[in-house]
Amino acid sequence: MRRTWLYGTAALLALLGLADAIYLTVEHVTGQSVRCTIITGCSEVLSSSYAVVAGVPLALIGGAGYFGAFSLATLAVFGYRFAATLLMPLTVAMFLVSLWLIYLQAFVIHAFCQFCLFSALITLLLLVVTLVSRRL
Amino acid sequence: MKRLLPFIIILAVLGIALVSAWYFTRTIPAPTTASGSQSQQPSSRGSQATQTAAEPVAKGAPGAEPAHVLGPANAPARLEEFGDFECPPCGLFHPILVEMHKEFGDKLQITFREYPLVPTHQHALAAASAAEAAGMQGKFWEMHDLLYDRQKDWKTQFDVRPVFEGYAKEIGLDVERYKRDLISDYVAKRITLDGSRGHSLGVTGTPTVFLNGVEVPFQSLQADQLRVVIQREIDSAGKR
Repeated sequence: MRRTWLYGTAALLALLGLADAIYLTVEHVTGQSVRCTIITGCSEVLSSSYAVVAGVPLALIGGAGYFGAFSLATLAVFGYRFAATLLMPLTVAMFLVSLWLIYLQAFVIHAFCQFCLFSALITLLLLVVTLVSRRL
Repeated sequence: MKRLLPFIIILAVLGIALVSAWYFTRTIPAPTTASGSQSQQPSSRGSQATQTAAEPVAKGAPGAEPAHVLGPANAPARLEEFGDFECPPCGLFHPILVEMHKEFGDKLQITFREYPLVPTHQHALAAASAAEAAGMQGKFWEMHDLLYDRQKDWKTQFDVRPVFEGYAKEIGLDVERYKRDLISDYVAKRITLDGSRGHSLGVTGTPTVFLNGVEVPFQSLQADQLRVVIQREIDSAGKR
């Protein structure tokens, strides 16, 4: 029962991450991310070469990741055991990618993007929730 | 039913995600003529050479007067740009605006407003001052063009003053006077006034462009899209 709640929480977290990723993708596609603004300056992060992987906006890949996590967590809530098993490596991978992105922001681009940090926080929480659910 | 429910939820979320992404990314329609807006009625007195006779293109606090204007005040399309010389997208927008100026000639009036994003762009204020100081010798646009064209050269410099002095010399300014004007209250005041105007119009980033008082969405600031929007303003003015 507790496990169901945990997977439910994971699904909600993934939804938040998905919304964040959609926002970032829209910013990227519409070009808003390259504009200079009072608050963030030129969004060095979103306009950097790291924001695109093989022509695909990183935010879109993140969105796919969150959608995957959401789907697996939802299936896990309904008792699909394979989904619970798959959720673990996915969240670990997403967390590792987030760590890499934070490293890039801090030491390579020298600029932070709040929405990217929010995404990293979500992946951390997702990882914690998934780990706890596996221990139960 | 219970077996299908998770799949229904997943599909619903996918649908909502795709629809919302589509909704926000679809091209925001370029501004249509703001009907009934007096701001775009060319002033009958405006044909005089004095730039101060021009009505402000958009509402809001007045900027520095006389404004830096290219093209006649009674042009059917009046564009006002808030720019920062150090901002890369402003640098990319510059050749587009030059192209528009060549294409539309007297049908398009272009106003430039200083909007240096000071804490983020360390040399933006110095660049704005350089352009304004050049303006005091009647060569604002020459300096404006040089600053944008060579943005990449000076952006990364530690001290830009000698670079800008070099530009001043290049465009034939009296460099001693330029150096005095650079630190004058007049120059500082002009930049503040333009900034206040931008602030009152809700400008938060650069380049921000208003066409006949209506903001042109940032994603429409590409040559082909901007051309369409300007032409539309000219056409609708012709019908009136």
